[in-house]
Amino acid sequence: MKKKIIVACGGAVATSTLAAEEIKELCQENSIDLDLVQCRINEINTFIDDVDLICTTARMDQTFGNIPIVHGMPFVSGVGIEQLKDKILSILKG
Amino acid sequence: MFTEIMQYILDLGPSVMLPIVIILFSLVLRMKIGDALKAGIHIGIGFVGIGLVVGLLTSSVGPAAQAMAERFDISLKVVDVGWPGAAPMTWASQIALVAIPIAIAVNILMLVLRLTRVVNVDIWNIWHMTFTGALVYIATDSYYLGIVGVIVHAVIAYKLGDWFAKDTKEFFELDGIAVPHGTSAYCGPIAVFVDAVIEKIPGVNKINFNAVDMQKKFGAFGEPVTVGLFMGILLGLLAGYGVKETLQLAIQTAAVMLLMPRVIKPIMDGLTPISKQARKHLQSKFGGQDFLIGLDPALLLGHSTVVSASLIFIPLSIFIAIILPGNEVLPFGDLATIGFFVAMGVAIHQGNLFRIVISGAIIIAITLWIATQMIPLTTQLAVDAGTIAADNNILVGAMDQGGSPITYLMVQLVNLKQPIGFVLIGLFYLFCLFLTWKRARRYQLSVKE
Repeated sequence: MKKKIIVACGGAVATSTLAAEEIKELCQENSIDLDLVQCRINEINTFIDDVDLICTTARMDQTFGNIPIVHGMPFVSGVGIEQLKDKILSILKG
Repeated sequence: MFTEIMQYILDLGPSVMLPIVIILFSLVLRMKIGDALKAGIHIGIGFVGIGLVVGLLTSSVGPAAQAMAERFDISLKVVDVGWPGAAPMTWASQIALVAIPIAIAVNILMLVLRLTRVVNVDIWNIWHMTFTGALVYIATDSYYLGIVGVIVHAVIAYKLGDWFAKDTKEFFELDGIAVPHGTSAYCGPIAVFVDAVIEKIPGVNKINFNAVDMQKKFGAFGEPVTVGLFMGILLGLLAGYGVKETLQLAIQTAAVMLLMPRVIKPIMDGLTPISKQARKHLQSKFGGQDFLIGLDPALLLGHSTVVSASLIFIPLSIFIAIILPGNEVLPFGDLATIGFFVAMGVAIHQGNLFRIVISGAIIIAITLWIATQMIPLTTQLAVDAGTIAADNNILVGAMDQGGSPITYLMVQLVNLKQPIGFVLIGLFYLFCLFLTWKRARRYQLSVKE
C-alpha cells in the first residue's frame, strides 16, 4: 500500500530536502511505495488528507489529530539517524 | 590558452558554470558520475526556476507597487524578493565558488583554536555569508575584499551560534544544537538590546502577553498562498486596479508564494551530497559533548509562539514598510517566513509577545532601512546572476540578508558612502553584540556554579 508522508520545515527548501532524501532512500530500501509531500510547516494542513506520517525538522507543538509526527532533526544533524529510521519504519509498517 | 578557457567558462553564465563546478566538486568527493551529473543539473534548474518566478514577481507586483506608490505619494516601489530570491542569486555569484570551502575552513580553524563550539554542518546557509562577500565584491571590485567579507561574516555567525546556545537549548529544547547563521541569529542581538531596555522601565517590564494558539484561530488565513492572495488583492485595490486586474494580480501573487520554495529546492538537491560529505567529515573530527552542531533556523519556526509571532508580523511588516520614512522596499518574498526575523527574539523574550512585537518592529524597521540602502547592490547581484535583465530598469531589494546590519557594515567599511548611517548602525549593532556577549558570559558562569 502506498504511504503518504509530509516532510516540512520552515521554508520548504533546506532542511526538509535533507530529511526527504533520507526518507526516500529508506522507503526504497524497504520497498515501501511512497507519496512524499515537501512543504512549509504552515502549509501542512493543505496536504493533510490521508497522511500516514508527518516529519518536521523543527520541533512542533501543534498536532494533527492522531497522525504520528516524528522530529526529523537527526536527518539534518546526522546524530541519531538510525534510531529515527527504525521509528519511521515501525510507524509505516505498523 | 588557459585564461581563454576560463573566460569562456565564466561567460557561460551561472546557470551553466555552477553546475559544472558542482559536478567536478562531486567527483572529487568520489560520487558516482551519474549522481554528480544529477547534482549539477539540479543546481542549473534552480537558477532557471528562480529567474522565472522573480520575473513573474517583478512583472506582476512591480507595476502594482509603482502604481500604488504614485497614487498615495509613498515610496514603496521596489519589491522584496526575500531569501528565496536572494539565496540563488548569491549562489550564482563568483564569490560562491570559493565561499563554501572558506566558510568551512574558518569554522575548522576556530574549532581548533577553541574559539567556538559550533560545528557548522549546514552548507545551505553559507549563502548568508556569501551574500556579504558578493556585495562587498560588487561594491569594491576586489575579489580579495569579497573573500574577507565572507570570513568576517562567518566568524560573527559562528560566535552568534555560541552566544545563543542558551536559547536554543533552554527555550527551544534543542540540546547540542546551535543556530549560528541566517536571519534569526543576526537579528537576535537587537532583541537582546530591547529586552535589556524594557527590563529597566518600571511597569512596562511587568507586561506579559502569552501567545494564544493563533495558528488554529487563523487556520487557512495564515498559509502562504492565502497571504499571497490577500496581498495581491490589497495591492490591486491600493494601486487603483479594476476588479479583473486585481483578481489576476492576486492569483499571480499567490502563485509566487507557492512556487518560490519549489523552484529553488533543486539548488538544495544539488547541494545535498556536498552537505552530507561535509557533515560526515566534520562530525568524525569534531563530535561529542563539547560541540554544538550548527543548523538552519528553520528548526525554530515550529514553536507555537514563533508561529503566532509570524502571523502578527505579516501585516505588521507591511504597515511598518508604509510608515517608515524613506523606505522603498515592499515586503513580499520574506513574508511567508517572516518568523526567521523574530525567532531568536521569541526565545530571548521568553515567549513574551509584548516584547516580541516591540523588538520585532525595531528589527523590521532597521532591516527595511538597510535593504533600501542596498537596493542598487542587490539589483546588480540579480543582474549578474541573470535573474533579471539589465536593460529594463527593474530594481529589486531583499529584506533577508539585503537588510542585514552585518552586510551593511561590511560594505560601508570597505566602500564608505554613508558615514552617518555607518556610524549609527555600527555603534548600535556593536553595542547589541556586546550585550549579547555579556549575556552569554553570565549564562556560562551560572552554568559552571
